[in-house]
Amino acid sequence: MARLYIDGDEARFTKKDICLVDMEFYDGRKIEDLEPRRLFPVSGLMKYISLLDLDGKEHAIIRNVDSLMPESKEVILQSLNEYYLIPKITAIVDCSEKYGILKWTVDTDRGRQSLRIRNRFSDIKVLYDGRILVRDSNDNRYEIPDYRKLDKKSLFFLNSEI
Amino acid sequence: MEIETVLTNKEVPENIRAKFEENVEEGDQLLFIIVGDLTLKSKYGVTSLAVTEKKFMVYDPTLEGELEIYNHSDVLEAKVKRMYGNARLNIIFKDGEGKAGEKKDVFRFTYSVATLCDMAALFIENISAGKKLEEEYDVVHATYEKMMNVCPKCGRTLVRQGAECINCQSKSKIAGKLIKYIKPETKVLVICLFLSIVTTAMALVPPYITGTLVDTVLPNKDRDSLMWIVAALFGTYILQFGIGAIRSYMLRISGDRIVASLRNDVYRKSQSLPMKFYDKTSTGSVINRISGDTATLQSFMLRISQEVVVQFFMLIGIVVIMFILNWRLTLLSLIPVPIVVVGAKIFGRKILPFYRKIWRRWAGVSSVLTDTIPCVKVIKSFAGENRTVEKFERYNDEWLKVDISAAKIATAFPQVVSFFVTCGSLLIWSVGGSWVLSGTGGLTTGLLVSFISYASMFYGPVNFFAYLNDSYQQALSAAEKVLDILDAEDEPDFNKGNCPPIKGKIEFRNVNFSFDRTKKVLSDVNLVFQPGEIVGIVGTTGSGKSTLINLFMRFYDNYEGEILVDDVNIRDIDLQYFRSQIGFVQQDPMMFSDTIYNNIAYGKPDAHVEEVIHAAEIANAHEFIARQPDAYDSMLGERGIGLSGGERQRVSIARAVLKNPSLLIFDEATAAVDSETEHLIQEAIERLISGRTTLMIAHRLSTLRKADRIIVVDKGEIIENGSPEELMAMKGKYYKLVQIQTMADQVKKSKEEENFE
Ligand SMILES: Nc1ncnc2c1ncn2[C@@H]1O[C@H](COP(=O)(O)OP(=O)(O)O)[C@@H](O)[C@H]1O
Ligand SMILES: [Mg+2]
Repeated sequence: MARLYIDGDEARFTKKDICLVDMEFYDGRKIEDLEPRRLFPVSGLMKYISLLDLDGKEHAIIRNVDSLMPESKEVILQSLNEYYLIPKITAIVDCSEKYGILKWTVDTDRGRQSLRIRNRFSDIKVLYDGRILVRDSNDNRYEIPDYRKLDKKSLFFLNSEI
Repeated sequence: MEIETVLTNKEVPENIRAKFEENVEEGDQLLFIIVGDLTLKSKYGVTSLAVTEKKFMVYDPTLEGELEIYNHSDVLEAKVKRMYGNARLNIIFKDGEGKAGEKKDVFRFTYSVATLCDMAALFIENISAGKKLEEEYDVVHATYEKMMNVCPKCGRTLVRQGAECINCQSKSKIAGKLIKYIKPETKVLVICLFLSIVTTAMALVPPYITGTLVDTVLPNKDRDSLMWIVAALFGTYILQFGIGAIRSYMLRISGDRIVASLRNDVYRKSQSLPMKFYDKTSTGSVINRISGDTATLQSFMLRISQEVVVQFFMLIGIVVIMFILNWRLTLLSLIPVPIVVVGAKIFGRKILPFYRKIWRRWAGVSSVLTDTIPCVKVIKSFAGENRTVEKFERYNDEWLKVDISAAKIATAFPQVVSFFVTCGSLLIWSVGGSWVLSGTGGLTTGLLVSFISYASMFYGPVNFFAYLNDSYQQALSAAEKVLDILDAEDEPDFNKGNCPPIKGKIEFRNVNFSFDRTKKVLSDVNLVFQPGEIVGIVGTTGSGKSTLINLFMRFYDNYEGEILVDDVNIRDIDLQYFRSQIGFVQQDPMMFSDTIYNNIAYGKPDAHVEEVIHAAEIANAHEFIARQPDAYDSMLGERGIGLSGGERQRVSIARAVLKNPSLLIFDEATAAVDSETEHLIQEAIERLISGRTTLMIAHRLSTLRKADRIIVVDKGEIIENGSPEELMAMKGKYYKLVQIQTMADQVKKSKEEENFE
């Protein structure tokens, strides 16, 4: 079966559950209980969203969320937002190091959080566009959208890690 | 049931605990509380899940009334749904009471408490299903206990409860750890130290003599004394440099011995590290540490054990002499000292981030190396040479950029400081010179000359101590990396010497496993295999078959539940003995670059030649080996280059045969070969397995025709388990797989027949 790509307004999405959506085509075909998942959770946040049913079978791929109808787009974004918890670090409030383990207190878009970074070399990853991905000792993930836009103090804490 | 305390993973805030306690009725009691960190609205905040004997309660500030209460008995299913960076406890309620089949997310959390919530979900489900409270509570208790086996300082999981955290203990005792390597060299080092004190003393003589030369000998035109003094200087130089030569020779050899033994230890250690370590650390960086960082450390240890003492004596000696010569000038020459000290401090703070950055960039460069050089065939076949070169250049440029900016600081800074120090000597010249001219304080020209010499020598040790911290930092980062290996936990092996005979009963009890917390790879595996049973393990790729074997081989230890052999927990058996009892044939058999003979004999180095040949015969390998020009002496390249996939596979079977193991494990031993070779391997395997418990992972079900029992793994769960006939009758997944494959075989057969016509 050829993969079904959704480009724009041929399908409409409605919210079903926290992470689930229903998909309805203009010809009336309807598929219920689909879970949108990013195919590129690191490198492409809005592109290539896979729609899986409850058994994990893929029914379609949205090429680009931005090209959907506004209400559908909103539904998909909400659902993705629920599924993917990658707090965006807006500031590093405090930083200490003991026994080789970094302890950060950070402000994120989800509130303040303390995290431990076990290996500063493998758990802090700097991408080319200034994005930094962080993984803490509990395998939770965080993201700094653009480190160059951080405040002075945060940059100071971050300086030796990038 | 009586419980001692309510189990918790963290301090439960007083108000939350009070809320829970209010809602516990007579005859019920709180069992455990999980303190979470994420609200249902996906914001950070303190939440809690409390479980009692009869119900569970969720505290979440975003809930209406902040508290919701559910009865275990209403629950049909409780599952943890893992998402990305967070997970939810999802409940499906039983029919009735208007809740028919209702689904609800009741608790949300990040991965920090995911394991506990898994356990809670299972507990709730099992209690609702009417299982025994005591038994379920024991599981809960064990999970908490395991979870609490963390170092209070750094939060790492400890090997066992109360064990000293290797991580924290070491960083504070780095010096102590390294002294172990210096100790055998103590004698030599003490001699060297003594010699260097002598040379230091010698170095202090010439300036004094020059002073006399200027003050008395030259003005008096005393040729005899001049000759004597020159001779005396010559003598001191001979002593100074002669002894210096001997000393550096001795230092060199003892340094070599230190680094050699350090390297040996690191290598030995690298062999006993668990697979978990190698999953996370690139082999390139391990190799780097064994070959490069040990050398950095060695030079630092010598520095500490020698230079510090020497420079200290030098400093004291010079200051004393200077004070004796002229205390006023001495005070004058101390003026630049604070500049040096402060300068070095600033320098250290500025340069440390750069060391880290450089290391990071360098790790990038070497990762490209270790990635691409072994894959050169892939690169060439995809014409990717230019791309790899570009990638390498990009990483190398990054390194260059950082190293250049570090170079600015690393070179300019000390120069600026030296400049100020040198200007200090101008101060001595101008003040001291005018004193000589005016005859103040009895200062003579000679005295001034020798004083200036001492003053310039004086800044040597000052600089040394000022920058000691810096070189200490540099060594520290090398030490960190070396100790990272030296101190890493060994594969757990706490029962050395416990070598019970192994008959071959294998049991998995409630085994759960995930490589990292984000994805469960095996869930609730329960299996029993009888001695001598031949078990086929089937399932789609990625379903967890190899992982099951990896756990059994004890490559990974952090699973929950128990694995037993002959009713003994495998953790209680001597590790090396245990593995020596298993013949493991891997999916992609690794060969050493050695002769075929040695590759087979690897499992039993003292094997008799004929045993090896016999093993090769059983493995259907003898014939093709004999056909090689060098036969058993054929040298293999790296990773077995020079043999085809099927040949390598047979050599690896021969290797396993030779060990005469009690258990046999084949992980897709025939996946990568044609049907004829498969047939040969199949024969070999069948010859081998008689009477031994055998686990056989296979894609081609034809391989499993001798199996007594088949288990089907799907997404980490055992979904079918029984004799092939039973499974066929069940018409489940196995039945489907068989159908598909016979169909494929028929198609193939008819194709072949077509071709022959
Ligand atoms: N070292 C590892 N680290 C993380 N995940 C792994 C590792 N090895 C295997 N996995 C994952 O575990 C799952 C099961 O793998 P495996 O047991 O090798 O499957 P198979 O059934 O094909 O042998 C796969 O999804 C795989 O991606
Ligand atoms: Mg496998």
